[in-house]
Amino acid sequence: MRKMLAVFVTLALIAGVAVFAYRPAPAGAQGGGTIEAAVTYGGAPVVEKLKVNKDTKQCGTEAVLEKVVVGANKGLANAVVSVAGAKGPARAAKAEIDQQGCKFVPRVVAMMPGAIDIKNSDGILHNIHTYSTANASINKAQPKFKKVMTEKFDKPEFVKLTCDVHSWMLGWIAVMPNPFFGVTDAKGTTRIENVPPGKYTLEVWHETLGKQTKDVEVKAGQTARVAVEMKK
Amino acid sequence: MIAVIVAVSVVAAAGTAAAQGGDAGAGKAVYDLKCAGCHGEKGDGKGPAAELLEPRPRDFTTGVYKVRSTATKVPTDQDLFRVITEGMPGTSMPPWAVLPEKDRWNLVAYLKRFAPEKREEAPKRVELPREVASSAESIKRGREMYEAIECNKCHGDQGRADGPSRAELKDDWGHPIRPANLTKPWSFRGGASRTDIARRIAVGVLGTPMPSFIDSVEKPEDVWHLTNYILSLSPGAPRYATLVTVTSVAGAIPDDPDAALWKRIAPSHIPLMGQVIVDPRNFNPSIDLVAVRAVYNDREIAFHLTWDDPTESTGDGTRAFPDAISLQFPPRPSGGAERPYFLMGDASEGVYLLRWESGKGVGEATAHGPTKLAPLAGAEATGRAVFAAGQYRLVMKRPLASKDAARTEFRPGVFTPVAFQAWDGGAGEAGPKMSLTSWYYLRLEEPESSRRFVLPPVVAILTLAAMLLVVRVAQMRS
Repeated sequence: MRKMLAVFVTLALIAGVAVFAYRPAPAGAQGGGTIEAAVTYGGAPVVEKLKVNKDTKQCGTEAVLEKVVVGANKGLANAVVSVAGAKGPARAAKAEIDQQGCKFVPRVVAMMPGAIDIKNSDGILHNIHTYSTANASINKAQPKFKKVMTEKFDKPEFVKLTCDVHSWMLGWIAVMPNPFFGVTDAKGTTRIENVPPGKYTLEVWHETLGKQTKDVEVKAGQTARVAVEMKK
Repeated sequence: MIAVIVAVSVVAAAGTAAAQGGDAGAGKAVYDLKCAGCHGEKGDGKGPAAELLEPRPRDFTTGVYKVRSTATKVPTDQDLFRVITEGMPGTSMPPWAVLPEKDRWNLVAYLKRFAPEKREEAPKRVELPREVASSAESIKRGREMYEAIECNKCHGDQGRADGPSRAELKDDWGHPIRPANLTKPWSFRGGASRTDIARRIAVGVLGTPMPSFIDSVEKPEDVWHLTNYILSLSPGAPRYATLVTVTSVAGAIPDDPDAALWKRIAPSHIPLMGQVIVDPRNFNPSIDLVAVRAVYNDREIAFHLTWDDPTESTGDGTRAFPDAISLQFPPRPSGGAERPYFLMGDASEGVYLLRWESGKGVGEATAHGPTKLAPLAGAEATGRAVFAAGQYRLVMKRPLASKDAARTEFRPGVFTPVAFQAWDGGAGEAGPKMSLTSWYYLRLEEPESSRRFVLPPVVAILTLAAMLLVVRVAQMRS
C-alpha cells in the first residue's frame, strides 16, 4: 500500500512538472504568417554634427546626431513597427543596448516588458538617464568598470535614453506589449514572423516623425507586405 | 557586484508624528502668502518671479524633488520639511525657519497635494554603508574613485565645476544647469554635512544630470571615501571679512601668484553679488567669491586675488568676453564715511580702478559709472595672472604713492575704502553685467619696527630694578 502511494506520488510529481514545463508552441509557430513592413519617408534626412571636446579617443572628434536616417528608396531606419492587439509568448532573448563610440547601438531597441542589459563598451563614464512616464525614470552612473547594468522596464512605453556626460547621445527603448515587433534597418524594412492569423492594426513609431498606423491581414503561412509612409 | 548585493538595502521611512499632523488647508494659506511668488499659485513653478531665477523654482506638480534621502523618487516628509526650513544654498530659495514649525509642516502637507499620483509609492530611505571617518588614506581612496568614476567630467579635475561637460548640462526641463563647485560646500543645495554629501553621491540629484552612484562605485563604502575627498577640497567655511588687512613685509614682493609669500598670508574672503541696478543686469552671476591677500613694503602695495572661473576666456567679442577683475578705490580717501557711489562712481565723483583683464594684463583706470571707464595713461601697475583647473590667481602691484590726483595713495593706518568687481567673460559677462561688492575697507598695518622687541624688555628690567630697590630700602629700614 505504502509502495503504491509512493509510486503514485512520484508519478503525480513527474506529471505535474511535465505539465508545468510544457509550454504550448506559439500560435504562429505552425499556423502563423509573416509581416514584411517597408517604412518610407519622403523628407530630407536630419543628421547633425557636433564638435566633441572630450573623450575624443572613444567618441571621435565629431559627434553625429542621427535624428532622421533615410536610406535608399526613401527607406526610413530606426522606426519601430508593431502589431497592435496580437497576443503571443515572451521572447526568449534578453534585450541589449550598447554604448559604443559615444552612441547608443542600436539607436532604437525594442523589447517586451522585462530586463535589458545596458552595456558600456566605451570604457568611460556614461550615465543612463531615462525619460519615461509609465516606468520610473532612472539616472544611474555607469563608470568605466561597470561593463553591464541591467535595468527593468515593466510597462509598455517608448523610453528616451540619454547621457548627460555626452549630451548628444540619444537612444530609445521601445517597450512593447507583445512579441510581434521589429525595428527598421537602413533600408527601412523589418520582418515580423509567426504572427497569429487575423486582422490587425500595424503601428509604426519614429522618434521625431511620430506615429502612423495601417491595417493588415495576416494569413497562415503567407507573407503580408505592408508599405507605410511617414509624414512630418 | 558587491555593490549591488550590499549597497541599497532600503527600509521604509517612518513618518514622524508631526509630519502626519500637517494640515494642507492651513498650508495653502501660508503657501499663497510666502511661496506662490516664485512657485506659482498652482505649484507649477511659474510664479511672477520665476523668469528671473536660475535655478528655476521647483514645479511641484511633477513631484520631482532634487534633495531626498530616499532610494525612490518620492522624498520623505522630513526631506521636504528640511528644504523649507534650511532653504537651498546657492539658489533663490531662502531658509524659512522664521515660520512657525507648524506652518512648515502644513506646507509639507500642501505641497504633496500638487502631485498626489506621484506619491502612490511609499518613500523608502536609502541606507548608506557604514560611515568611514576621514583620514589621509580615505581621502586618497576618494581621489582615486573620483578619477575612476570621472566626477571630473562635470565637476572638474579639482572640483571647481569646470569639467568639459559643464556647458552641455541641462535639467529634465531643458534649462541649463551648473555642476556644483565642490570646493564650496556652503553652496551645496542639499546641505554640506557628511551624511548629506554621501547621500547625494548615493542617490543623485533628481531631475538633474547628477546620477545615482550607489550601484556604480567599486565598493559601497567608496561613497564615504568620496565624501571625505570632497570635503578635503574646501577651506571649511569661508573667512568672510569686512576689513582687509594689508600686511607689512620687508624686501621685494614677488609677481608670481604661486610664490611662497602668498601661501603664508591668510586670505580674506569677499562675497560678490550680481549687478542688478542698471541694464544689462546680472541675475545669475558666475563669480561669487574672491579670496584677497594683500601686502606692502616701503615702496609698493600688492594684491593677490584668487577666484574660480570655469572657463579661461579672452573673448570672441560676440558671446564671450575677456575675463576681468578690478579693485576700486576713492581717488582721495577722506578717512570718513563719504565715499563715491559704489557702482563705479557717478558723474560727480569718480573712482580709481586697479584692473586686470585677460589678454591685456594689469592696468589702471578711472570710472564715472559702470559704462564710463577711462584708462589712465602711463600705467604704474604691474602684475601676473595664472589660470589653472578653473581658478585664476592674480598679483597686481603698484607704488604706494602717486603724484597723479586720479590715483589713490596708500598710507599705513588709514582706513581706505575698497570695492571689488569681477567678470566671467566666458559666461557672457561684460560691462555692467558683472559681479560686484559694496564698499569694504582696507588697512595697511603699521610697519614693523624693532621698538616692540626692545621696549617691553626695557620696561620689564626697569620694573624689576625698581622692585629690588623698594625691597632693599625696606630691608635697610628694618
